Amino acid sequence: MLDPKIVAELESVVGEQFVLTTPEDLIAYSYDATFTSAKPDLIVLPANTQQVSEVLKVANREIIPVVTRGMGSGLAAGSIPFGGGIVLALTRMDRLLEIDRDNMMATAEAGIIASELADAVAREGYLYPPDPTSDSYSTLGGNIACNAGGARCLKYGITGHYVMALEVVLADGRIMRLGGKATKNVTGYDLVHLIVGSEGTLAVVTEATVRFIAAPETERMAQAFFPKLVDAGRAINAVLASGANPSMIEIMDETAIRSVEEFLHMGLPLDIEAILLIQTDGDEADATRGIEIAAEICRQNGATEVQVAATPQERKDMWLARGSISGSLGRIRPNKLGEDVTVPHSAIPEMIARIKDISAKHDLPIVIFGHAGDGNLHPNILFDKRDPEESHRVEAAVGDLFRASVEMGGSLSGEHGVGVLKKPYLELALGPIAVEMQKRIKQAWDPNNILNPGKIFD
Amino acid sequence: MSSNSVKTSDRTVSQVAEELYLKCIRCGKCLSVCPVYRETRIETMSPRGKVALYRAIGEADLEISEIYANKFYTCLMCEACREVCPSGVELDVILSRSRADLAHSGLLPLLLQQLSTVIVNAGNISDEDNVQRLGWTENMASRPVGLDYSGQVEMTYFVGCVSSLFPASYRIPQSLVGILEKAGVNYALLGGEERCCGYPLLLNGESERALEMARHNVEAVRATGAPQVVMSCPSCYHMWTHTYPEMLGDDALAGIDILHETEMLAELARAGRLRFKPWPATVTYHDSCDLGRKSGIFEAPREVLRAIPELELVEMADHHGHSLCCGGGGNLETYNRELAQALPARRLRQAQDAGASTIVVSCQQCKRTLAGAARREKMRIRVTDLAEVVAEQLEEPHA
Repeated sequence: MLDPKIVAELESVVGEQFVLTTPEDLIAYSYDATFTSAKPDLIVLPANTQQVSEVLKVANREIIPVVTRGMGSGLAAGSIPFGGGIVLALTRMDRLLEIDRDNMMATAEAGIIASELADAVAREGYLYPPDPTSDSYSTLGGNIACNAGGARCLKYGITGHYVMALEVVLADGRIMRLGGKATKNVTGYDLVHLIVGSEGTLAVVTEATVRFIAAPETERMAQAFFPKLVDAGRAINAVLASGANPSMIEIMDETAIRSVEEFLHMGLPLDIEAILLIQTDGDEADATRGIEIAAEICRQNGATEVQVAATPQERKDMWLARGSISGSLGRIRPNKLGEDVTVPHSAIPEMIARIKDISAKHDLPIVIFGHAGDGNLHPNILFDKRDPEESHRVEAAVGDLFRASVEMGGSLSGEHGVGVLKKPYLELALGPIAVEMQKRIKQAWDPNNILNPGKIFD
Repeated sequence: MSSNSVKTSDRTVSQVAEELYLKCIRCGKCLSVCPVYRETRIETMSPRGKVALYRAIGEADLEISEIYANKFYTCLMCEACREVCPSGVELDVILSRSRADLAHSGLLPLLLQQLSTVIVNAGNISDEDNVQRLGWTENMASRPVGLDYSGQVEMTYFVGCVSSLFPASYRIPQSLVGILEKAGVNYALLGGEERCCGYPLLLNGESERALEMARHNVEAVRATGAPQVVMSCPSCYHMWTHTYPEMLGDDALAGIDILHETEMLAELARAGRLRFKPWPATVTYHDSCDLGRKSGIFEAPREVLRAIPELELVEMADHHGHSLCCGGGGNLETYNRELAQALPARRLRQAQDAGASTIVVSCQQCKRTLAGAARREKMRIRVTDLAEVVAEQLEEPHA
C-alpha cells in the first residue's frame, strides 16, 4: 500500500477519478496476454505528457516502481507490475495529432490504438505498414516499447523502422524530444532507436511521429495446403528465393488449423500438417505475377491444393483464420506460452523440425504458426499452469527452444520483447558483455531503477 | 441459498464455473470491440476485465460488492465480446450470471431497482397507466383495425413498450399497422393487455420477475387465437424466441409462430404483397444486437431494402455479427445515462464514413438512441425504422 499522502498527491495531478485503487481495479491491471499476473498498488491514467511528468517526479522522489502500460496485450509479461507500485496506463492519451502529407508522417499520442492510426493513414490513401496481429487491441506506445512486428514485416520491416521522432518523459520527470522529421539524421547517438524496444525501462514514450509510405495499388493472397509440415518449411525458402517478393508468408500447423477451424468453421482441411498463407502486393501485374510464382512453387514443393483469393473479401476471410489462432488456443489448454524465436531464413525448415522434436521430448503440445517468411516462428506451448509437474516441463522446453534458436544464429525474440519470461536466457543470446553494457545504459537513464524494474534483466 | 452456491461474507454467489473463465487466455481481442471500453479506455470496464473479476470471485481473491456491481452493470450486454472471442469464452453467460448473483444479493443498483419496481407495478417501462399503451393510435387518420378484431385473426401485433409509450417512436407502430392493413392482413392489438416482455428485468438479473411477465403475455397472445405474433422490438422478439421457451418450456408456445417485423416484411415482399416506389438514396442498415448477433436475423431487413428500386445499400465498418451497439442496451441508459449517451456517435460516424445519408434500423430503442445522438451531435444523418421506410415507399395497392 502506498502512503495515503502520495495517493492524494497523484490524485491532485490526474484527478481523483483517474487514480484507481479498488480491489477490482488492481485485479484488472494485474495481467497481460501471458499466463502471469501481479497486482499494482494503484493505477494512474494521465491525460497528457505534463501529467506523466508530474507522476514520475513523485515516483522518482519516493522511489516507487512505475510500470507503463497500454492495452495489456503483451506476450512477454513486460507490463506486469511484479514489484507492485504504480501502473501508468496511457490509454486515455489517444489523440491523433497530425497527418503531415508533405512529409508523409503522422504524429499521435502513445495511447492511440495502433489500428486507428493505421486506418487514419489509410483514409489519406497511404500505408502505415507495421501490423502486429494485436493492432486493434494494442497501442502505438506499446508497439514502440516492444518494437512490434507483424506479418507485413517480411517486406516492410518492423515498427522501429517507421519511428522518426519521440516525446519521452525521463525517470526524473523531465520531458525530452528525440529525432524529427528529417529523413537523415546522424547527429549524435540514435536515441530514438534506443528507446524503441526498451520496454518501458528507460523512459516513458508519450508521443510519436511515424512515417508512412505510398500504399501498394493492390494485394493478392493465396493459401497452400501441405500434407507434410517439412514440405511447407522448404516451400517458404523456395518462395523467398524466387523473386515472387511476397509481403507476407504465414504458417499454420495442424494444431493451429484444428483450433481455429473449431472457432470459425471455415471448412479448412483437417487432414494436413500445414497451411502457408502468402500475400503479394504492388501494381496489378506485379502482385498477380508474384502470387502465381508462389503458388507454383508451393505445388512443386508438395502442396496438394493452392487457393488464390479472387476478391478482397476472400483475402479477408483467409487472413481471419491466421489472425484468430493465438486466441483460439485457449480451447485446447487453459494456458499458453507464446514464444517468438526468429531464425535466419535458411534455418526455417530445421527450426520447425527441432520444435517438433522438443514437443515430443517434453511431451507437450507445441503449436507452430506465425510469420514464417521472416523466420519468426511462433511456437506456442500449451499447458495447464495449475499442474506443477507440467509447468516444470514447460520451463525445460522453453530452454531447449531458445538454445535451438541461438545455435542456428537466431534470436530469443523477434517481436514480443524480453519482459520477464525471456530474462533468464538473455545472456545465452547476447553474451555477458552486451548484457553488462545494457545494464549500464539503464543505470544512466534511470539511476533509481523505478521504470519497469526487473524487466529485460535484473 | 441453493446447494450449489458459495457464500462470500453475507453475499451469495452461484457456483463460479471454472470452465467459463479458464478459457480466457487474456489476449485482449474483446477490448477492440467493446463500446464501453472504447469510450472509457479503462480495463476494469472491459470484457476481459470482467472475466478476471469473475475469476477472482471463483478463486476467492475477491468478494462481490457495490464496486463489483458497478463494473457488471456498466455493460451494454451487446455480446460483441462473445462474438469476437477466439477462445470461445461464453461472456454472455458470465455477464448474465454475475448480474443475477448481484440482484439476488441485494446489490442491484438503486436506479435499476426503481426500473424494476415500475415494470412490475405498471406493466411497462415508463410508469404509465398500462391503458396508455394505445397513445400511439390517437392521432392516426383512422382507428387501427386491429383494435376491434373479431373472429379468426392471422396475427397478433405485440407492439413493445418503447413504441407504445415514447411519442418519438409512435411512427413505427403506426407504419406497421398501415402496412398490415394495406397488405390485407387480419391482425389483433392487445392494448392494455400487453405488458413489458420482461427483458429489462432479465437484464437486471431478476429472472423470477421476468417470468411473471412472460406468463401474462403468452396468455394474452393466446387469447386472440392468432397463430402468429409479430414484434417490431428485437428485445421483445429475443425474449419470446429464446427466453420464454427456457422459462416456460417449449410447449407453452406451441402453435404460436413468432416473427420479427423484418421477417414479416420480407415475407410480404417475397409474396408480392408489397410494391415499392423508387427511393434514390444511399442507405445503410444497422443490425441491432438483439435481432442480429443474438437472434441471427441479418438478411430479412436487407432483403426488404434491396427490393426498393434505386436504393443503394452500403455496409458500415462493423456489420452483421460484428455490429456496433447503439449504446441503448443492457439497461445502461438507466444506470449511467451520461456514458450511454456518449456511445452512439461512433456508430453514426461509421454510417457517414460508409457514405450513407440514412441509417435504417429495425429497433425502436436503436432509433431513439441514434436519433437522439444525431440531434445532440448535430450530425446530418437520418435515422429511421424499416417499418417507416416501407410505409413511406409503399405504392397504393393495385385494384
